[in-house]
Amino acid sequence: MNFFEFLVNRSDDMLELGLGHAAVVGVSVLLATVIGVSLGIATYRKPRPREAVLAVTGAFLTIPSFALFILLIGPLGLGTMPVVVALTMYGLLPIVRNTITGLREVDPAIVESASGMGMSRSQQLLRIELPLAWPVIITGVRVTSLVLLGIAAIGSIVLGPGYGEMIFTGLARVGTPVAVNLVLAGTLGIIILAILSDVLFYVIRRLTTSQGIR
Amino acid sequence: MTSSPNVSQPNRKVMIRLENLTKRFPGQKQNAVDNLTLDIYEGEIVVLVGPSGCGKTTTMKTINRIIEPTSGRIILDGEDVTTANPDTLRRRIGYVIQQVGLFPHQTIGENIATVPKLLGWDSKRVTARVDELLDMVNMSPADYRDRYPKQLSGGQRQRVGVARALGADPDVMLMDEPFGAIDPITRDRLQNEFLRLQSEVRKTIVFVTHDIDEAIKMGDRIVILQEASRIAQYDTPERILTAPANQFVADFIGKGASLKRLNLSRVSDIELSSWPTVRVGADSAQVLDQLRSSGRDSVLVLDDAGRPRRWVGAGDLQSSPSGALEEIGVPVEGMVEPTATLSDALNELIAARNSVTIVVDPAGVYRGVVDINQINETIRAMRSTSAAQNAADLAERSTAGSASERP
Repeated sequence: MNFFEFLVNRSDDMLELGLGHAAVVGVSVLLATVIGVSLGIATYRKPRPREAVLAVTGAFLTIPSFALFILLIGPLGLGTMPVVVALTMYGLLPIVRNTITGLREVDPAIVESASGMGMSRSQQLLRIELPLAWPVIITGVRVTSLVLLGIAAIGSIVLGPGYGEMIFTGLARVGTPVAVNLVLAGTLGIIILAILSDVLFYVIRRLTTSQGIR
Repeated sequence: MTSSPNVSQPNRKVMIRLENLTKRFPGQKQNAVDNLTLDIYEGEIVVLVGPSGCGKTTTMKTINRIIEPTSGRIILDGEDVTTANPDTLRRRIGYVIQQVGLFPHQTIGENIATVPKLLGWDSKRVTARVDELLDMVNMSPADYRDRYPKQLSGGQRQRVGVARALGADPDVMLMDEPFGAIDPITRDRLQNEFLRLQSEVRKTIVFVTHDIDEAIKMGDRIVILQEASRIAQYDTPERILTAPANQFVADFIGKGASLKRLNLSRVSDIELSSWPTVRVGADSAQVLDQLRSSGRDSVLVLDDAGRPRRWVGAGDLQSSPSGALEEIGVPVEGMVEPTATLSDALNELIAARNSVTIVVDPAGVYRGVVDINQINETIRAMRSTSAAQNAADLAERSTAGSASERP
């Protein structure tokens, strides 16, 4: 059975695993975005908290994913939960960093004129600073999505959903003809999801960025 | 100190009063603004000018409390706003900064609508106001309303900045070097446009610059500040140029105070001299007659509509006795209109034939000429007027004694 026949044969599996993979990464990206942007907003004007947040979220990325998934079994058990938590932790850095960079790059003269016209602090943030930082922030979210699509595969060691299942099954059957097909199919699925995610973020970025700053 | 902290103007309303205003930035030993007291009258442009670091921008920014004063009071239109809600306060005060600070992600229309929207105007009223303001700054609403700031030139952006500051028709405007980052030709045009606009809207304006020439041109009154925002002189441009209060002011004005003074008078303020003229159809006898009776060595040839065309002298008539007056002599150049400053007139005069500047009305019709003696007299008259005023002020002060200046 060649690889193509294998894919046709397993197309139901491919689709189901793909949806699971996309869902677990999607939820994690969403959580990481909410937490990361909030942390960025809370700290971008204060040097010490800012450095601390960047250091901590950076440190998360240095924990080997294998180890983190296994460590989370204790508190969270098996399945989707530990995967979502671990992925959210891994996804924070690019989003926090880009939020901080984006907000800090807004021209101070623009913020001064906003405040000089009587915009409250939250109006400045919502109407001026965040829209101007948005292209940078959304780029961070895009990077996070790509990173998490890859890491999510490892989540199958704690019985998380997604293409990791195929890859680990293949790993267990090394030496048999089907092993290579399984690993290839899992990898291909992730690559396709990565391409789709890139297209999605390109479209979102175009639609949500003002013409004036494109 | 010989400063005159406040020019007493009993009949006019004080729009902005700064009382014992002091600002010390954290970690600094010296006050950036030290015990400043200043009255600014309604409808005037008051220019704060001084060397860099003198505290002029800090002073201006305490008025809308972008910088909070350490002590002292800010009184706006009779109301103490020192501890008022800063956001509400700022919506009452137009604010223009050098970098303009337009919101790049919003259209020109949205930018101008900022304060009206903050004040909760309904959308019809906002749209009408935006169009009105764009017209005011000479930008066609249909062409510019939906553009983005990046599609405009620097001068256009600055115009939009002014329109945005006028958004909700504030009584007071603060302008921090608004024309500082613009090329000299555009700056001159924007300054003139702004003065014309101000003659219509009559706002109370606090204008900061480091350029004494801009201060003289824009200011109804000028505050010359020394370090820590100490007032060296608060007076009209004429008085500052003709009677500097102390050496600091004299040094700050620099050389050429007399030349600068010429910027303050317009050609329409002085009586024009006359010059012999003939119409293009005149014959040489008429020309020679004019030359003889006036004692000048050339006449000014006017066309049928009365517009100056050529200078013709006796020599020109001899070298081509049959030539029409339109073809002999030399064409006139460098005419000014009555709205031009004496400085413009002098500039033309230096380069002109016969050492006079021809004055024409806006339709180009001959009105008269300005010569160097008239300019000279004007300068002398200004000097003696301000000397007389100074004497009068001194007399008034000594008789007023300790009586309070204001109610």
